[in-house]
Amino acid sequence: MRSHFWNRSAALLAVTAMAACGGGDGGSSEAADEAGEAAPAAAQVDPSTVGTISGMANFGGMVPEMAAIDMSAEEECAAGYGPDGPTAQNVLVSDGGGLANVFVYLSEGVSAAPAVSGAATLDQVNCRYTPHVLGVQSGQDIEISNSDNLLHNINATPTENRGFNISQPRAGITSTQRFQVAEVMVPVRCDVHGWMQAYIGVVDHPYFAVTDANGSYSIANVPAGDYTLTAWHEEFGTMTESVTVTAGGTAEASFEYSAEMTGADVPMGDALVLEHGTNRIRVERIQ
Amino acid sequence: MATIVAEATGQAILHEEHEQSFLRKYIFSTDHKVIAIQFLIYTLFFLMIGGLLAMLMRYQIAWPARGQLPLGGIFPESMVASGYILPEFYNALVTMHGSVMVFLAIMPMLVGVWANYLIPLQLGTHDMAFPRLNMLSFWLMVPAGILTLASFFVIGGAAGAGWTLYAPLSARPDLSGVGLGQIMWLAALVFIGLSSILGSVNYITTTINLRAPGMTWMRMPLTIWSLFITAILALLAMPVLSAAGIMLVFDQTIGTSFFLPEGGGQPLLWQHLFWFFGHPEVYILILPAMGFTSEILSAGSRKPVFGYKAMVLALVSIAFLGFIVWGHHMFQSGMNPMLGLTFTVSTLFIAVPSAIKTFNWMGTMWRGNLQLHTAMLFAIGFVAMFAIGGLSGVFMASTPVDIYIHDTYFIVAHIHYVLFGGSLFALFGAIYFWYPKMFGRMMDETMGKIHFWLTFVFFNLVFFPMHGVGMVGMMRRIYDSTGYAHLQGIEDSNALITWAAFGLFASGFLFAFNFFWSLKKGRKAEANPWNATTLEWQTPSPPKHGNWEEVPVVYHGPHEYSHPDVEDKDWLAQNERPDVVSPAAGSH
Repeated sequence: MRSHFWNRSAALLAVTAMAACGGGDGGSSEAADEAGEAAPAAAQVDPSTVGTISGMANFGGMVPEMAAIDMSAEEECAAGYGPDGPTAQNVLVSDGGGLANVFVYLSEGVSAAPAVSGAATLDQVNCRYTPHVLGVQSGQDIEISNSDNLLHNINATPTENRGFNISQPRAGITSTQRFQVAEVMVPVRCDVHGWMQAYIGVVDHPYFAVTDANGSYSIANVPAGDYTLTAWHEEFGTMTESVTVTAGGTAEASFEYSAEMTGADVPMGDALVLEHGTNRIRVERIQ
Repeated sequence: MATIVAEATGQAILHEEHEQSFLRKYIFSTDHKVIAIQFLIYTLFFLMIGGLLAMLMRYQIAWPARGQLPLGGIFPESMVASGYILPEFYNALVTMHGSVMVFLAIMPMLVGVWANYLIPLQLGTHDMAFPRLNMLSFWLMVPAGILTLASFFVIGGAAGAGWTLYAPLSARPDLSGVGLGQIMWLAALVFIGLSSILGSVNYITTTINLRAPGMTWMRMPLTIWSLFITAILALLAMPVLSAAGIMLVFDQTIGTSFFLPEGGGQPLLWQHLFWFFGHPEVYILILPAMGFTSEILSAGSRKPVFGYKAMVLALVSIAFLGFIVWGHHMFQSGMNPMLGLTFTVSTLFIAVPSAIKTFNWMGTMWRGNLQLHTAMLFAIGFVAMFAIGGLSGVFMASTPVDIYIHDTYFIVAHIHYVLFGGSLFALFGAIYFWYPKMFGRMMDETMGKIHFWLTFVFFNLVFFPMHGVGMVGMMRRIYDSTGYAHLQGIEDSNALITWAAFGLFASGFLFAFNFFWSLKKGRKAEANPWNATTLEWQTPSPPKHGNWEEVPVVYHGPHEYSHPDVEDKDWLAQNERPDVVSPAAGSH
């Protein structure tokens, strides 16, 4: 109730002010509104017509050594790690060869999507983002919280959405943010602690997942049909697979990575625009 | 036997009483007195807003780890989260406290209220030279106020780059996190600048052209002198700020790079432009206060102002020197040492006219028949506080000392001794002094004196310890000082300052109560309750539309108290005919 009041007050005052100064904010909200219109229509999905996509992201070859992070300036954070200290999280490979933190999402074939439900969470624990890679649906609440009793700022720099740069000076503070437009990926960093980096993948449907520590993922409740599946990784770029989902079935799709792919073009800030009627999603880099 | 004779001059009566609609009389009025009262209500409101912002700041400074901000629940999550004031909101508080106090409270209260009210009355004319322009100068302040308040509620919040708006922080939203809020404040500044420029044109024209017969330059009250010189300063300085503000908006919105190094611009250019306005602005904020103080001290001491001509010359020289010292704000910004030395010397020179004024105020009071009413107490308070603020200013004028204390709480202490202990004390004095003329009723003296003593004590408890906190090295805009090794041990000082600040803010409500209560319940004021000499006291309280039935003729200087040739009273009004009072009195 309270936030509703403030939202309305803010909107009223903002409109008054913008009318008075005859300006806008550069048009990002307009872009968001236009793209919002192109989002898939909210639809009720019949449980009897859905299936699952699951698989692995596998890494082959020599695993790159991750750089050590010097957290000595933040003793509270450094104490949260073992004697070897914290390292970067760019390439996390399990003992079984699974690659973690790969964002997997349906990039073509989705015609309708259920409405947003629930909130995604992004925490700051021991001066790291948890999770390192997060997937959300456009318009979904992202509850950002701070488990460290020190100041972090959360600086999200999307290209299609409205960015934010907020601070959380103490443990226990939470803030809720949203991205209205599909965009893969949105980088997030803390300017106080230069090693803190996270990525948020925003898609306009709920058919996405992030590979876990073992490199596996699963996307449930996908309506039967033919799709293109895209996997994104912060070091190795993107790759795609075609999948066919049948009602009640599980489609397998795995992605194979290797050290040779290091330095590949990593898409950042790409807008996903759903084209209604053609029944496909187009990945479009906005110049 | 002396009697007051309001002398007719034979001039036609310019203003006739005529029926006016409510809208024309009270809202879109061209009467300088109504416009002054509009400015007064407006500025008192923003004084309260500015104070409120300061209280939130002080809570954060004293108890950064506590959270649980009282009434924190009324703030949106973008300002206060989990009871903690967020750093970006704190930046907005710091920025907007300074900005609101300087541009929406103190400056329009000094000039908008009192230049409007006093110039026509003290010069003996019916109204300003350009009454419609005068109305416009007030109404331009309204969108400025709306923009300022609204900017807190847009995404990214209000401007957060400090009241000095240093680029590139102020020019790049990705650095400050503030986009629209910064632009809205700059737009407000342009409105304020325009208002100030229009007002200044009016004050200067009126002073030059509409003085009553006999009101020679050297018979003008020191209030008028100070307001006249202030108007010249504003006319020369405000366009610089307005132009710089528009350039900054361009940098933010259409891709220019006036102040952005990546596009070939110069961040230092902003500092030069801002301070070329900013230092004259400091004198815009203090010269009128000096004028009010001279007037109140003279009436309250029942003595002429000591060294009237020296006071005028001191005003003029402060104004002149004010334009060639701006570099002393930039000693830390990188400057040729020779240039730094030049700014040091020119700044130290200002101490001379300032000292002349201070000693003359003491000379005015010396062996006077002191009337310690509330206005007088505030005027005396002004002299004492201004002396402290002026002396701490000498520290900063010297480059090597300034480098040590630059951007610390020592500076915060200095500016508040000048701007609060100076300007605001004088403004409170002016309100108590001219309130009966404005509203026809006296403010309550008991409440007034309690207000003075609370203000005086709490003010010093707030700002004097800041010198020490600053010497230890506490940075002026720091959000949380507890994380710095060199700032351990100042927590108690900060808590004391905050408690005293709460007391200071609370004492303001006593003033506000007195102000509004006295409108209805205050003792009715006669035309001249202070037995003062200047022209405004020789017309009814409050003066009617047009001020005078007939334009007065001036025979004397402005502060003829305890005149040796007047036997049955201790004052001689400017328009008292010399042949009626005494032949000898006419020579003064």
